[in-house]
Amino acid sequence: MIDQVLLFAENRYTRLVLVGLLVLSLQTTVFNDMRPFGVCLQVMVLLAASAGLARGSDVGAIAGFIIGLLYDMVLTTPMGLCAAVFATVGYLAGVGQSLVYAPTWWSRMLLGSVASAIGMILLPIASTITGATGILNAHVLFVALIVGLFNAVLSVPAERLCRWALTEPAAAR
Amino acid sequence: MADFSFTRRRAILLLSLTSVILITMDLRGSSVINFARSTFGVVFRPIESATKVVTRPVGNAWNGITHYNDVVKENHRLNDLVAYSEGSTISAIASVREAQELLSLNGLPTLAGIASCTAQVVGQSPSNFTQTVEINRGSECGLKVGMPVLNAAGMIGKITDVYNKRSVVMLLTDPGYSLAVKVVNIPAPTTTTTVAPGTPVGDTTTTTSTTTTTTLPRVTTTTGIPGFVPGVTIATSSTSTFAPLPGEVTVPTGDVGPNQPGKSTSSEITVPPGLDVPLRETGALEGRGISRTPIVRFVENQPRFGAVRIGSPIISAGGATSLAPPDIVIGSVSRVVNRTGTLGPILEVTLAANLKNLNFVRILLYQPSSERVVAP
Repeated sequence: MIDQVLLFAENRYTRLVLVGLLVLSLQTTVFNDMRPFGVCLQVMVLLAASAGLARGSDVGAIAGFIIGLLYDMVLTTPMGLCAAVFATVGYLAGVGQSLVYAPTWWSRMLLGSVASAIGMILLPIASTITGATGILNAHVLFVALIVGLFNAVLSVPAERLCRWALTEPAAAR
Repeated sequence: MADFSFTRRRAILLLSLTSVILITMDLRGSSVINFARSTFGVVFRPIESATKVVTRPVGNAWNGITHYNDVVKENHRLNDLVAYSEGSTISAIASVREAQELLSLNGLPTLAGIASCTAQVVGQSPSNFTQTVEINRGSECGLKVGMPVLNAAGMIGKITDVYNKRSVVMLLTDPGYSLAVKVVNIPAPTTTTTVAPGTPVGDTTTTTSTTTTTTLPRVTTTTGIPGFVPGVTIATSSTSTFAPLPGEVTVPTGDVGPNQPGKSTSSEITVPPGLDVPLRETGALEGRGISRTPIVRFVENQPRFGAVRIGSPIISAGGATSLAPPDIVIGSVSRVVNRTGTLGPILEVTLAANLKNLNFVRILLYQPSSERVVAP
């Protein structure tokens, strides 16, 4: 029984949930107050993109789904919407990373930024598909630009965090 | 490789299916999803509170850097506003009380008769696409989905999610917000019509209260009623042969006002009480996102209502199916976009409440009569 609990606690996705909760608390407090140019910074989408950058498209998709699900818990959008979008973001970031030959810190930064921006465009599209009205307009592009720029700055530490959180238990030991 | 591809495909399919199932369940109002959100809120609030305490200096530093000048300007503006408002507050309170007494005497519903619950805004939505705030009161206070939320300035939104000790309020600016409202058109400035002595028979000079002088053509009218001239709302014998401009209300000269029911004038026509009561027209208020002002649609293009003026107040319409009681202040018309044909104008609305600085709010425990559960 204890072994099973330890095994569960050592699971990389359990670690990701704990990291996700921490980042979510930052998202709903400090990043919610800091609104450069009137745009709320989105570190949750950065976390999903960083998971893809750190561990590839498959892990990125699953990690993005989990992070999105956590975010859905505090938003009023339909449950599962952010999960689907963030899973796509994580997957795309992983695919983008696999296409780069000898990735460097700045290429990862660029990919994190672009994946975040794509997420910010996909989110209102997905909301519109589920029935929301009036949110798909030119302002979305501005939001995507600002979020992309700021997430580029934070992408390197975020990727390191995700690389640590998503390490296999055996490798961590 | 084939196994790997199959696993990957299966994982993606599983994630997609899970998302679709969750979205469908939530959109259909599944209690499981509500329970999950509520439970997550209970677990997450302490973490969020701790983070808020830890990160407060960072937030304060950021706000100090970016908003210092705005705060100073706002402080000066508010000081002026307080000085300006102090004098008029007492008379306004007296007027409101008198109005409520009148409404009560006539058996009409008033806001004073609706129970309310005061709450504090504890957070706002971290999303860029929904305008919601979270308050620290929930079902324990009797809150229900749809109840109107207001602050001291006016309406700010409605409750969309209720949990035990917290609720989510959708703001008026959210694209999903809609409410039946009334536009109270400000009456046109009253015009005093005088006939200058020795005026030529052909033309007449009209002097308005805004000191504009216009020349009107002579109007020939016929009527079978002695003393009554069509086109003149109120007229004395000396001015009754001249028609006013469209939309204008003429008043007799001297100190006798046009709207003093019960007072005797020299006019042969009885003035109905409340002649210059502002005209009202209903429409639908819709939010358009945080960067754009809400608009009012479906205002009918009625000649009697006339052109909507900038600054006309917008108040809630009420009614059996409306989620808000009547006569809650919402804002004022800031721009009128006229449309051709029978389409009424679109009115842009400046909200009375400042949605960027919400602190204490009041939730009216109001439910429209169509949704009230009748006790057996």
